[in-house]
Amino acid sequence: MTALATTVNVMHHAFRAGLADYRAIFTWKSWLAGWMVRVIAQVAFFALLGERIGDDQKTFYLLVGNSILVAALTGVFSLNMTTAERWAGTLPLLVASPSSPIIVFSARGSYLAVDGALSALAALFIAGPMFGMDLPWPRVVAVVPLTALVALASYCFGTFLAGIVFRFRSINSLVVLTTHVSLMAACGVNVPLSYYPDALEWFSRVLPVTNGLLAIRGVLDGADPATILGDAALEAVVAVGWMTLALASFNQLASRGRRDGSLDYGA
Amino acid sequence: MGTPAVEIEELSRVFEPRKKPPVVALDDVSLAIPPGEIHGLLGPNGAGKTTLVKILSTVLLPTSGRARVLGHDVVDETKAVRPLLGIVFGGERGLYWRLTGRQNLAYWGALYKLSARETKARTQQLIERVGLAERADERVETYSRGMKQRLHLARGLVGDATVLFLDEPTTGMDPLAAREFRTLIAELRDEGRTILLATHDMVEAETVCDRVTLIDRGKVVATESPRTLGQVISRFQRIDVEGVDAAVLGEIRALTGVSGVTEADGGARIEVDEEGATRVVLGRLVDAGATSVKTSLPSLEEVYVQLIDDRGLEL
Ligand SMILES: Nc1ncnc2c1ncn2[C@@H]1O[C@H](COP(=O)(O)OP(=O)(O)O)[C@@H](O)[C@H]1O
Ligand SMILES: [Mg+2]
Repeated sequence: MTALATTVNVMHHAFRAGLADYRAIFTWKSWLAGWMVRVIAQVAFFALLGERIGDDQKTFYLLVGNSILVAALTGVFSLNMTTAERWAGTLPLLVASPSSPIIVFSARGSYLAVDGALSALAALFIAGPMFGMDLPWPRVVAVVPLTALVALASYCFGTFLAGIVFRFRSINSLVVLTTHVSLMAACGVNVPLSYYPDALEWFSRVLPVTNGLLAIRGVLDGADPATILGDAALEAVVAVGWMTLALASFNQLASRGRRDGSLDYGA
Repeated sequence: MGTPAVEIEELSRVFEPRKKPPVVALDDVSLAIPPGEIHGLLGPNGAGKTTLVKILSTVLLPTSGRARVLGHDVVDETKAVRPLLGIVFGGERGLYWRLTGRQNLAYWGALYKLSARETKARTQQLIERVGLAERADERVETYSRGMKQRLHLARGLVGDATVLFLDEPTTGMDPLAAREFRTLIAELRDEGRTILLATHDMVEAETVCDRVTLIDRGKVVATESPRTLGQVISRFQRIDVEGVDAAVLGEIRALTGVSGVTEADGGARIEVDEEGATRVVLGRLVDAGATSVKTSLPSLEEVYVQLIDDRGLEL
């Protein structure tokens, strides 16, 4: 097989392995009845808040922001793949195999990107009409790939964090919490970027939600295509950047492990 | 002899844990294993077996010295080495519990760069070989420990490895499962594969290996045939007995081949150091109406001491 074919094959199997973990937690029924209902309730809560404190515009702002946030929060959960304790036993075997473990890590949690995008879109397209939001056809179709892009970028970011948390297991929950709060607070989900000091906007722009969310708001508000495409391109750059760092951190993890003996079977 | 399957030259590894003194896990180890041999690496816990296996598996760097697998350096030529290796270690880790046995093998097949067709065929063949056919499509989390170990072995064989490293592969298996496992290991050797089997079980080393290297505190003590090892093991036996009086014990103490009798609450431990003596002692104990008699093997340490002494005498 060609190098590309073997790589794709490994990614496919890693994806399946991740999905199997997920399917052990959720069935279709419990996913719909448990997870989706929760997601929609959460988005509706913020929309209701908007109705109480402001006008339609504020309501829709919160509704869109919090829907897309679902894609991000779900994607970022890929950092939990490190806590799946069995990794402790497979890492040396992955390193010793003829394929690079980073191929596995790049795909292992990607079902979360799919899940995140689907959840966010469902939230937006269910909660939106509930609150009387106008979803301009056919422009709104562009929201689908953009949401997928946000989910993907967040997944890349989560994978990067996974590489860090791998070494410092004890800080896992702290990292999850900090990340969730940062994404919620600093990415233009509930308040526009202009609300923040300039320095924070820079920080915000490298986080995996901000640019994509701006693009999505642009689509819904009828902004000009060049602005939308610009934000979308930035989002893609952020995704590629985090994935590059993620792969580098896993490479580093493997070569460091070879040196200090931390690649343990954990038998 | 052509290229050895595994060639280890003056290999050392020192661990330097933070805030703790350095540990010399391997100290100047040299060893050559010809192709097609089952080579035992026998040593007590902490001897350095896993460290050696890890270095050979390319997941740990040596501090000094070098090692080659089929002529390829395990530090610099990992690309050439890794496809040749199969790695199996004891315990239940290293498998995806949420996947079925078959899916696990297919996953590793992908990592070993098999095509979908090869994977399918090899997976089926391995599943049958390790006796998992009936459960292959069930999740690994439902497997018994022995089944997981067998799946581990199958996993190690997915890449059709020519050199296999087995690190305590039978830990925790029941005796029957362990015996079947050993039969399988012998079959693999008969197919021309080279096997390095790390174990702390003397009987395992004696029964399946063509040669055995004894290692202790990071140093090679000796490389022996399993016959030598077996002789030592069978010569040194311990007999724990209950329900015989001091007079009988005194009598036994005087028998040739009995090296010691220690009495302990209600019973006694008799140590034997000559072949054949065990039988005599057991006969005498049964005649004297012993209520419980149990024989056990000497400890690894005792065997070491003996082997070193024997060589001392030869010199
Ligand atoms: N990563 C490590 N850091 C520090 N010490 C280690 C590490 N790995 C092994 N050791 C030490 O090296 C010695 C040999 O260990 P090991 O190779 O696991 O022995 P075995 O497999 O024969 O039981 C032991 O003293 C062990 O504590
Ligand atoms: Mg060990």
